[in-house]
Amino acid sequence: MSASGSDLGVGLARDLAQDPAQDLDALVPELEASLTAAGSEQELEAVRVQFLGRKGRLAGIMSGLPKLALDQRPAVGQKANQVKTKLQELLDQCLARLERDKERAALSRFDPSLPGRSAWQGSLHPITLITQEICSAFVSLGFDLVEGPELETDFHNFEALNLPPDHPARDMQDTFYITENTLLRTHTSPLQVRTMLRKRPPLAAIAPGKVYRRDSDLTHTPMFHQIEGFLVDTDVSLADLRGTLTAFVHRIFGPDTVVRFRPSFFPFTEPSAEVDISCMLCGGTGNCAAAPCRVCKQTGWLEILGCGMIDPAVFTAVGYDPEHYTGFAFGLGVERVAMLKYGIGDLRMFFENDVRFVSQFA
Amino acid sequence: MYLSLNWLREFTPYEGSAEDLADRLTMLGLEVEEILRPFAHLKDIVVGRVLERRPHPQADRLSLCRVDIGQVHTLPIVCGAPNVAQGQLVAVARPGAALSDGKEIRQTEIRGETSRGMICSEAELGLGEDSEGIMVLDGHFLLGRSLLKIYDLDDHVLNISVTPNRGDCLSMLGLAREVAVEFNLPLNIPSARPEAWVVEEGASCADNVTITIDDPDLCPLYQAGIIQGITIGPSPRWMRHRLLAIGQRPISNVVDVTNYILMEWGQPLHAFDRALLAGERIRVARAREGQSFTTLDGRERRLLATDLLIWDAEKPVALAGVMGGANSEVTRTTTDVLLECAVFNPICIRKTSRRLGLTSEASYRFERGVDQPGSRLAMNRALALIRETAGGKMMRGVAASEPRSWQAPRIIFRPTRAQKILGVALAPEFCRQKLEALGCDVNAEDAQAWRVLPPGFRLDLEREADLIEEVGRCHGLDRIPATLPKTARSLDWLESLAPDTDFRGKIKRWALGCGLTEVINYSFISSQDLTLMGLDREPVIALRNPLSEDQNVLRPMLAPGLLQSVRQNMTQGNATLRLFETAVIFLSDLAAETGAREPSRLGLALTGNRYPEAWPWPAEEVDFTDIKGCVEHLLGHLRLPEAVYVPLAEHPLCLPCAAVSLGGENAGWVGRVKPHLADYCHIRRGLFLAELDLNLLQRLCGHGRSAFRALPKFPPVRRDMTLIAPLDLAYSRVLETIRAQAVDLLRESILVDRFLPEGQQEARLTLRLTYRHNERSLTNEEVDQTHHGLCNSLTTLLPVRFS
Repeated sequence: MSASGSDLGVGLARDLAQDPAQDLDALVPELEASLTAAGSEQELEAVRVQFLGRKGRLAGIMSGLPKLALDQRPAVGQKANQVKTKLQELLDQCLARLERDKERAALSRFDPSLPGRSAWQGSLHPITLITQEICSAFVSLGFDLVEGPELETDFHNFEALNLPPDHPARDMQDTFYITENTLLRTHTSPLQVRTMLRKRPPLAAIAPGKVYRRDSDLTHTPMFHQIEGFLVDTDVSLADLRGTLTAFVHRIFGPDTVVRFRPSFFPFTEPSAEVDISCMLCGGTGNCAAAPCRVCKQTGWLEILGCGMIDPAVFTAVGYDPEHYTGFAFGLGVERVAMLKYGIGDLRMFFENDVRFVSQFA
Repeated sequence: MYLSLNWLREFTPYEGSAEDLADRLTMLGLEVEEILRPFAHLKDIVVGRVLERRPHPQADRLSLCRVDIGQVHTLPIVCGAPNVAQGQLVAVARPGAALSDGKEIRQTEIRGETSRGMICSEAELGLGEDSEGIMVLDGHFLLGRSLLKIYDLDDHVLNISVTPNRGDCLSMLGLAREVAVEFNLPLNIPSARPEAWVVEEGASCADNVTITIDDPDLCPLYQAGIIQGITIGPSPRWMRHRLLAIGQRPISNVVDVTNYILMEWGQPLHAFDRALLAGERIRVARAREGQSFTTLDGRERRLLATDLLIWDAEKPVALAGVMGGANSEVTRTTTDVLLECAVFNPICIRKTSRRLGLTSEASYRFERGVDQPGSRLAMNRALALIRETAGGKMMRGVAASEPRSWQAPRIIFRPTRAQKILGVALAPEFCRQKLEALGCDVNAEDAQAWRVLPPGFRLDLEREADLIEEVGRCHGLDRIPATLPKTARSLDWLESLAPDTDFRGKIKRWALGCGLTEVINYSFISSQDLTLMGLDREPVIALRNPLSEDQNVLRPMLAPGLLQSVRQNMTQGNATLRLFETAVIFLSDLAAETGAREPSRLGLALTGNRYPEAWPWPAEEVDFTDIKGCVEHLLGHLRLPEAVYVPLAEHPLCLPCAAVSLGGENAGWVGRVKPHLADYCHIRRGLFLAELDLNLLQRLCGHGRSAFRALPKFPPVRRDMTLIAPLDLAYSRVLETIRAQAVDLLRESILVDRFLPEGQQEARLTLRLTYRHNERSLTNEEVDQTHHGLCNSLTTLLPVRFS
């Protein structure tokens, strides 16, 4: 089509003399024919130039206009405008079609399965995650967070908690000493003492933090994490402690978990109890698929925390009247809960900080 | 503490199962850790008679025996023991039976002769130490009967974890009392008729030994009994079996009796060879400072003046309550025994035992307190048992000195108080019955306030709270209802809460979003690491009793721990790390109550790839801009003002390193780890660290609480400038100089490009400046004028030019 373009002007001039209106009418089917063959925007442009360009077919016909009789001119001029509009319309349609085809072709190459430009994945340590989960459970029960030093005095860590020097119960907690009188806290219980010395009841608080014991083997690390909780008011009973801890266990381990309170001994509580929950692996039966449960060692129970009613001696040590106030306290090991919840078998992994381990949890 | 059910049944008629007993004791506060069957292997060991013994044709030291085990066929057994003889009743392990070490017996051929079983020694059966010869059974037993049956060894033993307050449960009798209370069974105390054990004739013991106690606080009671003309030998089989069942090694009749009474009554005893005691005197007195003394385990101990000794007329003969002396120990040749039954001060015994690292069954019980009134009964029972098992003649009575008799504390028990504490109403009759069954004397005349006297063996019952625990325990803590407390709170309490945890939570959430991984390191590090890291110039806090040299000081900065984490990960092949840690560090501060300050820090560590190792990310390594970017991002996240970064020439860990300064305060540092430390962490690429003071950040955040600023109404106009500056001109100087011009309309200046033409000592810095007027739109002319004015100022104030 474009190859014969150079001769066009001559032919047109000859035809015009005969009937310009007829020539104009013929342009439309001719353009239509040219457009069906146009497969790209470049080809489309060439067609446009051929028909509507400054030296194109339409311009060629129009150049013969002055030769027409005056009375014929308006009709032909009107006709020319109509044809021009029609041609433009056809060209626009063709352009839209080409763009649609192009888009369709691009879409057929779109591969959403290719990797995205994703940023680094951050992760919190499982101890942090469990601590946050436990703390928020207690916060929703009305407890507030408190904190205290990791290096403690003998008074706050032991004496005020009814653990006088040379008490056999001190054997329960092998201690790292800094001086005769200062040590790395062996539990978060000094927060009871510090908080009670600072404030009068009513108070309800939880204290998460690192604690230290001089012990290192498969099931002990010299540093681990505890959460202490305590509540003091004028009329707090063991039943309230049971309720609080049952609510906590159900929140953390699920509402079907059975909670068991077993008498025990801690110097700073009286009565004292240990709380067991039904084993989550074997469901408290002691056996998994006919094999002895290795998590609870067939007892069906898992020990998760120690608790009790705050000993009157502790109240006396902090200047509370033990006749007037009663309260409860509890302490639990975060690693233990994390191991149970995530099914981690080796305690020491928590502090080796292998990123392949640490980044497993959310 | 091991509880033998057979032994228990001597005191209380418990007929239920071991499992049920274990459950009930556990719920009573006596946690049963395991149930053992110490002699279960004896089930398949049977009584046999040696019908014939002849020498093995191929081996001098073996004999061929034919053994009748009461079945149609006799068993041919090859035996290596020298003492095997025809006619003996022996213990036979048939093929399939197991020995105490678990080894299974099979039919074998020994040098051409078939052996269908084994004739066992005591040691092989776990019934004694004797492994020289086979065990010969005394008495008449049916052939083929199991040893388990003939010696009544079908026992269950509970391994009980006894809490430190329950010294009374470190004995069969104490545990029997708990069982009797729990199951409402009678308790038969063998001391019901003590006089039956004691002779009433002959020389008086008190005339033959004088007891002196220097300090009644350390020894409120000392008793001595004397038996003459005894014969040392093995104790009777029943006693040995009882001791073996609970893991005690039988030694000799006299020593076994002292151990038997210790286990039965919880009262430690010590037997002296009376012939080795000088003078007829016993004195309880402190050691001399620095004195040395050899205990009967053969070890020489250096003593302090706080240690308590038992002396004869000349020398110390026992480390009181801990261990006897080698110089007066009972031996095979002993004929006269002086038996000590005393009560010692728990703290004194504990101090000595702890310091010497010497814990004995005796010291363990004295530390927890023994039953002073009951010790007389234990003494009588011990003397009677010695006479029964070792013969001899007992001197009349017991010599005793009791300068301080035990007084029961008078405790008021209010049933209403018990209800208040336990949250459940217990029937007064229930409380009374249980307290009495536990051995208390209860006077309930005043129904509101009972007067209760606890027994001598319950030294843990001192206050009302202790009695409330007892009734709660007997009722069952697990049966107390569950209610939720009314958590009343006071305003001043809420206002006093320090939201440190909240702030750390905010930091952690930021780090999570930044793609950092949290680590938690030990607070202690090794002093060697401190030296390696050049951190040993400042005083650090050292542990007095570290577990190892690897963990002997508290870290004065987070970096050493983070480096450990990096090192640990590198050895595992985790080469790209983006770590963070929040923790306190420990700084010596003698003015502080605990001798230390514990400021809170955030530590960051980056190494390896800048982006995830995947298309479409480019493969690039992190550099200083990444770690500084983290710090800037955090400060931006906290909406803190921009920090100033100043090169730090002297930093122990990093080079280059920059101090981070916020409003003139030191907020931390950021830098690249020095090569020798990177090497230590097995890193060949760059390792970048930052450490920030979280207390400072928290304080600054608290001051500059976010406040709303109205959004600008008029459009900004932007102009770029490209400065050509010498390489040693810090970018901060350019910024400071621009700011110092205090151009009214300038809102922001950003470095959009930094180009270093090759081979030139100059940098081309392109800055994009944003101008805006708050009240109207700016014209191009006024912006151009301002911008050119600023450019001109820069060229006069700084060694820069424009291209």
